[in-house]
Amino acid sequence: MSPEADKRNWVGKSLPRKEENRLLRGRGKFSDDIKLREMLYLRFIRSPYAHAKIVGIDVSGAEALPGVVYALTGTEVAQETQPFIEIGPDPFAKIKDYPLAVSKVRYQGEPLAAVVAESPALADDAAELVQVEYDPLDPVVDAENALTNKSILHEEAGTNLVWNGIFEYGDIEKAFRDAAYVVKVDHLHFHRFSSTPLENNVVIAQWNRKDERIYYQCNNSFPSFAIQFLAAHLGVHIDRIRVETSDIGGSFGIKITSYPQMAVCALASKKAGGRPVKWVETRSEHITSSAHGNERTFRDTRVALDKNGVITAIASRHIDDCGAYPRYEPLGCVIWSQVFPGVYRFKNARIDFSQAVTNKCPVGPNRGYSRMQHLWFLERVVDICAHELDIPADEMRLRNYIRPDEFPYTTPNGCVYDSGNYPKMLQLAKDLIGWDDWKKKQVTAREQGRLIGIGIGTTLDSGTNNFGQSQIVNPFLPYSGNSQGANCKLDIYGEVVVAVGSCPQGQGHETTAAQVVADVLNIHPDLITVRTGFDTERNVHTGFSGTYASQFAVSGLSAVHGAAQKLKAEMKRLAAFVLKTKEDDLEFGTGAQGPEIRAKGTGKSINYWGLANLVNANSAALPPELYELTLNCRYIWRAPFKVPDTKKKYGSLTLTYAAQLHMAVVEVDCDTYIPRILDYVAVDDCGTVINPPIVEGQVYGATAHGIGAALMENCVYDAVGNMLTSTFSDYIPITAVSMPNVKYGHIETPSPHSYSGAKGMGEGGAAPIHTISAALQDALFASGIIIDDSFNNADSLFRALTAKEISQADKLVKVEKRV
Amino acid sequence: MAIKFGGEFEVKRTPEEVYDFLTDPKKFAPLLPDFQSMTVQDATHFKVKVNVGISYIKGAADVRMELTEADRPKRAQYKGNGRVSGGNVSLTAGFDLSPSDSGTKVAWQGEAQVFGGLASVAGGLLEPLGQKNLQKLIDGLQTALQ
Repeated sequence: MSPEADKRNWVGKSLPRKEENRLLRGRGKFSDDIKLREMLYLRFIRSPYAHAKIVGIDVSGAEALPGVVYALTGTEVAQETQPFIEIGPDPFAKIKDYPLAVSKVRYQGEPLAAVVAESPALADDAAELVQVEYDPLDPVVDAENALTNKSILHEEAGTNLVWNGIFEYGDIEKAFRDAAYVVKVDHLHFHRFSSTPLENNVVIAQWNRKDERIYYQCNNSFPSFAIQFLAAHLGVHIDRIRVETSDIGGSFGIKITSYPQMAVCALASKKAGGRPVKWVETRSEHITSSAHGNERTFRDTRVALDKNGVITAIASRHIDDCGAYPRYEPLGCVIWSQVFPGVYRFKNARIDFSQAVTNKCPVGPNRGYSRMQHLWFLERVVDICAHELDIPADEMRLRNYIRPDEFPYTTPNGCVYDSGNYPKMLQLAKDLIGWDDWKKKQVTAREQGRLIGIGIGTTLDSGTNNFGQSQIVNPFLPYSGNSQGANCKLDIYGEVVVAVGSCPQGQGHETTAAQVVADVLNIHPDLITVRTGFDTERNVHTGFSGTYASQFAVSGLSAVHGAAQKLKAEMKRLAAFVLKTKEDDLEFGTGAQGPEIRAKGTGKSINYWGLANLVNANSAALPPELYELTLNCRYIWRAPFKVPDTKKKYGSLTLTYAAQLHMAVVEVDCDTYIPRILDYVAVDDCGTVINPPIVEGQVYGATAHGIGAALMENCVYDAVGNMLTSTFSDYIPITAVSMPNVKYGHIETPSPHSYSGAKGMGEGGAAPIHTISAALQDALFASGIIIDDSFNNADSLFRALTAKEISQADKLVKVEKRV
Repeated sequence: MAIKFGGEFEVKRTPEEVYDFLTDPKKFAPLLPDFQSMTVQDATHFKVKVNVGISYIKGAADVRMELTEADRPKRAQYKGNGRVSGGNVSLTAGFDLSPSDSGTKVAWQGEAQVFGGLASVAGGLLEPLGQKNLQKLIDGLQTALQ
């Protein structure tokens, strides 16, 4: 908790977003809005093949085109740079990952050359003139097949297995021996999908030959991570890279992994003598080649349950598909274990987790990164067991949920769930949707031959990572804990200016940071300027700064709060000197001349301009004992983590655990097989809410993302690695037209792990996937169908129900009854 | 995305005559649908340029062809790789020749594979288009060999 508790005038208020004035009027500044003198434009040449040797590249036709400055190939990049550093251990640490393919391509859409021209249109034309000769190789598009190593993607590694680890806790054998029921599920599959930000990736790079520094203006959403990769790759000191972000039109994590494109733009600028180079990603490039979410297959699952349907153990084998290059991986191989038991109380578990490369687009963090796959798996397991044992879905949850009185709850792998009340969320969702009424309607509908199901999905949004978990995948990595920086100052005219190390993409950081500082200084948030966007030159970032992993409300605002507290302490010392009173006799407020500090009972006050003036412009009036005051306060917030036990894979991996409980009523049309949502509820608990409309907006956004993923968005590859859904004609993002009316509810279980009680939120995008799978299961269980895939559309439901090609219960699930 | 085709027809020529026709690029290549031009590199390699139109994707494809099997007068097989706007194509076309009462029976097999964005954009159109173009090729062959 803070040394001085704030009076909460603004935190918790439904304050309109400060950002809206500029963003809704079209006055935002996005990377593509930036035009620089002598700017050049870059276009990538991408592979049509998923797996092929590059026999030759002929760029002469492109370079002969008037207005084309030059072309860059992978060979040239390899001569000038080092391969990107790998997060994983050997043998994958040996692979050579360059931003342009050198001797072979490993996924369709992989860039292997780039052309740079005086205009975007010329660059497009020139790209068409680059001739590439390929020698196709056998592609591997399935992670389980990849593990047979019949066709190797990275010869340096000699295997397609990126990482394998066994996560085992409790006494599995005893749990299965003592079980009243054992439910076996042959396989489940979580599909590959991505995010659809309004703004695609944009990079402007300038390798300035005067100071040999690289200047980036871009929309990368984790710049402090990107510059670590870029510095090593480009062979420059990290301080020579400046990254600025401005407004960002959505990321959802996908923009974390744009550093390869950032590298190419910098090299292109260097080759152009320092002229700035801009790359603006097309939508098809984004869909095929930016990053996808992790695809995962769950094999040979066994679930032990007692006679009451309480799960006592789960054993399973998980195979994750990370696409052609690990890049941010294999972090996903441990990040899922932040939510190891989900919202459930079972103590015994064994998960054999493997990750493989395939000839598909590399994955990257995607809203709910790595955890949503695992949480979907757990929800499917719970739901299938409920149906098989004929236990009502709500009752099954209540029997297995972690109970409210068990918080803080330590999971079998040592994570500490800070707070929560899942039964209360379930009851609220049931009340909002009208559970009993829908149950009655469902009976009537079934009598009429209609297929209606009611589904429950409970998910967790673990926020503020302990980066020490990276040592579980690679003990040699130098990361642990988590930290965020912020700066709070009175500038020369007394304006309160806050700078943070985040790069918001619509999450309202400008507003919530102002609310926090407003409470510390007891002034209106409109009197506070928050510098938005990341900028290495502001010196407020740490190695973990950016916007990702549901952490700003905890790490970002804690840093802001700490910096504001430091500033307040300095202001009090200064005011006490000026007003000739004790610090305890001062009060903060707003007077006729703006924000001020008053000496209680004296009528004396000094406004912020006066205070700032003393330090910055009228310093002769300042006594030497106050020379140390700067009114420019930097604060680094550090999460109270320890390095996990890497051998036992045990430790606190995340600081806060927000929860989402969704409920849906879904009908499968008996003629067209189209699934339709008839009713939908989203209940959220992210602890203390800083700004209710911002939270509610993110819940709606995450719900839309998840509904789209469950029913519409699927990255489909054919057998040779062609991505068949590379445009919005086939990869259909959800829009308002497809959204049901969402009934929103929330509870607050304040976190004891954050100064404000808030938990990170915004990544509950998986809840609809769990929920819709469960609703479809409820609708179709009587038809002998097991929902074994996270993506379900009319085609797959037809194949299950009528063609009986997939999802047949008798082939997927076996129940052993011992009672 | 592989598209497979096959069929057979008979012509009133000897297997040797049919074989010689099929393995002569100057005779065979112009029968390719929407043929524009060709360059012969050697006895087994040639390049052809053909017009391609798949829905709104229109342009020319440069296809490198190789005679990969040549067993006179029983079998000839071509393999080709080419680039077209939006992707690459590879194809194989094999001809098995056997004597028949009227001359020669030609059993043919073809497989076309599309790579790249083209497979996504035009995927649904490729099979009927391929079918149509191969039929054109076979019709042309039959006519030329009569």
